Amino acid sequence: MLDSGEFRALFPNRPRPPGGPGRTVADLREEMERLESEGEIIIHRIRPENRPVRVTNLVGRTKQIPTDRLWHHKSCGQCGNIPGYPSSLLWLMNATHRTYLNEPHQTSCTAWNYHGTATSNPVALAAVAARNFHRAYETDHFPLIHCGTSFGDYKEMRKLLIEDGEVRKKVRDILHRIGRELVLPEEIVHYSEWLHVMAPEIVARQTHDMRGIVAAVHEPCHYYKMVPEDAVYDERVYAGQRPAVPTGILLALGATVADYSTWYDCCGFGFRHILAEREFSRSFANERKIRPMVEEAHADVAITSDTGCVTTLDKSQWIGKTHGFSYTLPVLADVQFAALALGADPYRIVQLHWHAVSAEDLMTKMRIDWKTAKAEFREYLQRLKNGGSPELLYPAREPIERFFAINKGQVPPEPDPGPSPSSKAVPTDAKGGSP
Amino acid sequence: MNPILVLGGGPAGLSAAAELGTLGAPTLLVEREKFLGGNPERWRYSLLVPDLKPTAEVLGGLLRRVGEDPRIERRLSTVITKVEPASKGFRVTLQTAGAEEQRDVSAVVVATGFEHFDPHRKLEYGYGRYPDVIDFKDLEGMITDDRILRPSDGKPPRRIAWILCVGSRDVQVGNPWCCRLGCAVSIKQAVEVRKRHPEIEAYVYYIDIRTYGLWEDLYWKAMEEYGVKFIRGRVGHVTLAEGGSRLLAAGEDTLLSRPTEVPFDMIVLASGMEPGRGTTEAARLFGLKVGPEGFLAPEVSDLNPIDSGVPGVFYAGAATGPKAIVDSVTEGMGAALRAYQYARD
Amino acid sequence: MSFVASSLQRVRPSTGEDPAPTPEIEITGRRELTSDERELAGTIFAEFRADPRYHRFVLGCLNCGECTSGCPAARFYDFSPREMVQVAQNGDATTLWDAMQEKIWACCQCYSCTMRCRFGNDIGGIINVMRELSVVHGLESTRRALAPFRRTFTLLGTIGTQLAPDMIQPEFFRDWGPAATATEADWGVPLEILRKAIPVDVLQTTRAAWEVSVQTSLELFRIYEEAGVLDMLRAVDPDLVEMLVDLVEERREEFEAARERYRNELERMRGPVATFPG
Repeated sequence: MLDSGEFRALFPNRPRPPGGPGRTVADLREEMERLESEGEIIIHRIRPENRPVRVTNLVGRTKQIPTDRLWHHKSCGQCGNIPGYPSSLLWLMNATHRTYLNEPHQTSCTAWNYHGTATSNPVALAAVAARNFHRAYETDHFPLIHCGTSFGDYKEMRKLLIEDGEVRKKVRDILHRIGRELVLPEEIVHYSEWLHVMAPEIVARQTHDMRGIVAAVHEPCHYYKMVPEDAVYDERVYAGQRPAVPTGILLALGATVADYSTWYDCCGFGFRHILAEREFSRSFANERKIRPMVEEAHADVAITSDTGCVTTLDKSQWIGKTHGFSYTLPVLADVQFAALALGADPYRIVQLHWHAVSAEDLMTKMRIDWKTAKAEFREYLQRLKNGGSPELLYPAREPIERFFAINKGQVPPEPDPGPSPSSKAVPTDAKGGSP
Repeated sequence: MNPILVLGGGPAGLSAAAELGTLGAPTLLVEREKFLGGNPERWRYSLLVPDLKPTAEVLGGLLRRVGEDPRIERRLSTVITKVEPASKGFRVTLQTAGAEEQRDVSAVVVATGFEHFDPHRKLEYGYGRYPDVIDFKDLEGMITDDRILRPSDGKPPRRIAWILCVGSRDVQVGNPWCCRLGCAVSIKQAVEVRKRHPEIEAYVYYIDIRTYGLWEDLYWKAMEEYGVKFIRGRVGHVTLAEGGSRLLAAGEDTLLSRPTEVPFDMIVLASGMEPGRGTTEAARLFGLKVGPEGFLAPEVSDLNPIDSGVPGVFYAGAATGPKAIVDSVTEGMGAALRAYQYARD
Repeated sequence: MSFVASSLQRVRPSTGEDPAPTPEIEITGRRELTSDERELAGTIFAEFRADPRYHRFVLGCLNCGECTSGCPAARFYDFSPREMVQVAQNGDATTLWDAMQEKIWACCQCYSCTMRCRFGNDIGGIINVMRELSVVHGLESTRRALAPFRRTFTLLGTIGTQLAPDMIQPEFFRDWGPAATATEADWGVPLEILRKAIPVDVLQTTRAAWEVSVQTSLELFRIYEEAGVLDMLRAVDPDLVEMLVDLVEERREEFEAARERYRNELERMRGPVATFPG
């Protein structure tokens, strides 16, 4: 095995990102600068108040991960059926004193639907991405993408908008019709990358010892297989041969990460299969993921960092009994695992009751008093049922926001540098007065 | 006449130096390593293609000629740090163990060769992570020592796979070219293993077999006489099998159009060829033209692959692209002649 | 209808006792096309080759099979990404037509093939181009493949998220088991209250993944209109699109009414909503 210095030296040696001659723009950031100077796009830059941390991507380029003043780009599946996923993340941000916006003014990236049904096209996907990028920009909060598929899609769409002038023009026209501008963020950032770089601050607040826990990691495909060069690698994680997330945070929290033979396989989600070819999804999940995780890795828990993966791996286990699979391996997102390690309430915050496979034995092993928490949560539910008001991680939205994507007084930064910022480049309306 | 500088002491450089000595030209042979012989010596190659003769036998004659010729000055553990133009030829700065020395040379033969692709960079194969995934230069050393054992537990392997084109013909690692030698060398290794240990099964995974020209004989014999098995298709990734005690090669048998997963005790990666460190440095120091792949580009690649286009600088061997020893040695002879003509005029 | 995991090898014949709940992929052998089909196949082929992505996604192929070795669908279906690259390069319109009937829907869109391809092909991407064309031309097999997604289309069109908590219920996903999600049976309170117990305000809804402001929903619908997505959907499910248009009209009216109601606040803010044409 090489030492870390030798590995570090290796990465700049992957000189060309995948793609044939002339197919890709060599350096997206340089090209973005050029496009901005021509007034074609606005770059949403990472600024000092975003408190960025530097990491390395697959091709050895530095990637900045902003850690503060973030705009949460939510995930349909997480919010829809694994709500402990976003709530654990927001809870961790509160615990580490990070500021953020979590608004109703975000659309789905629509990419699950696209990869499942193809009822969209590059212009529509890119316009949706740019619409959400612009909303983050006008609030002056940097977008943090929760879903692996949104992350993959937005990496692709940013690339497309940089490389294809025709798509760019069509998208810009559509955006103008909804009162928006073409903004591209300097980096596309997945929440697991935030978690990865926040590891020192998170570990400093750890309350539960995770050393006895064996985790098997499922690496979400759309995190690192779409636009592979922009995934984060770290020579301390699998010697730099696999993505650094979400393994890095587990190691930092003291858990044992055990390898298994099918680590490269997808989870079986399949986008359309999870709805329309279910026998594929559940067979693949049981046969190719859960079984090796249990029998080879002897895992106590499966950890992943994407929406569809948590869903497929968690929900598919019960039916496996009909074919002799009797596994009950809890499946958690990395943020849920981290929140538990920091003493978050397993039900109120980590919302484990939505998961199909019980995490109770796992929590016992973590020495978490889940029985008390569960009893208290039942009482809390009764209080809510009787009209009590719910606890929130941040102040609730204003009533007017049910309708309007209002500006709460945030002033987006001037495009910088702007030798010739066209009048269109700065939407004057978006700077609006404070309410 | 100021000496003619030969950069690199591999087969091409040795050949050029030996010929220059024979022509009676004073020769300065500079080698970065502390030994002569280049990659075959550095990685302790066992038998060389196509005739399966030991390296010592193939290169021994050249090494003797260079070692015994008083007109050849051999500078080992030495690099060039600076090059200045002179009225005829160049003034070069040699650096040996920190000490610098300036020398005037009348012409230069660049024979800086190649480096094997570092298989750590092909992440899917777990080189450096799974001890029993080795590359073919590692296996050359094992064959030379006659100890073909699994690095993980020292046990003899029952089944070995060779994976061709690792770091070649692959834009994912930035190397779209063919290494020319991987097929022949891998097949040669499979034959050597089967000769010594007929009980070991040998599988070669390939995209195309390029045992070009008369070397095809080796490919045929591997099947006819040594029972080496060929699977048309590549291994996409290597992972653990049988509770971690063996390796699993997951690929597609493209002739059967089916995914295939076979457990192996050892997997040998045929690492491709990349421009050597010295090649890149020589390009910088002498202002030489570099092709898109990073190898040196001759001025006229078809009719004269030896002249660089920079007066007084000539090429030999794998500095201009992947090459077999026989071709490198031939080019060494040609470059000696061209350099001698230039220096004498 | 029972929801039982079928045999792990999908290519094995069904035992008959475990009918699948949804349409299955059956790879049909090539049959003679009708003259209408032949004409349509020719049109699709021409459009496929004219798509700007074609030359970016399909560069060539060494037939090495590394794509297929990591392909989940290749394990279960008569499908391989390497074959799809061959199809994409093939000059015969019928070959493309045949692959577009069923095979394209076997792909899991995991992009394992794309990441691996040593030639730099985007195989997952080119399959999407084929799928889009099958939608644009409303192929019968595509209507079947898309049928289970009507609820998703409706949610996207009217609200702007792809799924909703009231969709993920045990009665719809019997194979996920009785504990598939948090239920009233287990916790003694209805879904509304379980959602209210999530400490994130925009998640306290049952009809969307998160609550989306009306302006934002309308922006997405406008993008779908302008970028031709509604036309694509119309080709496979015209009734659904008519329904969507009606539902969105109601949202627009709701939005206009709110604009009146909040007129004073909006004046004061002069925020981006002022520019939205509605």
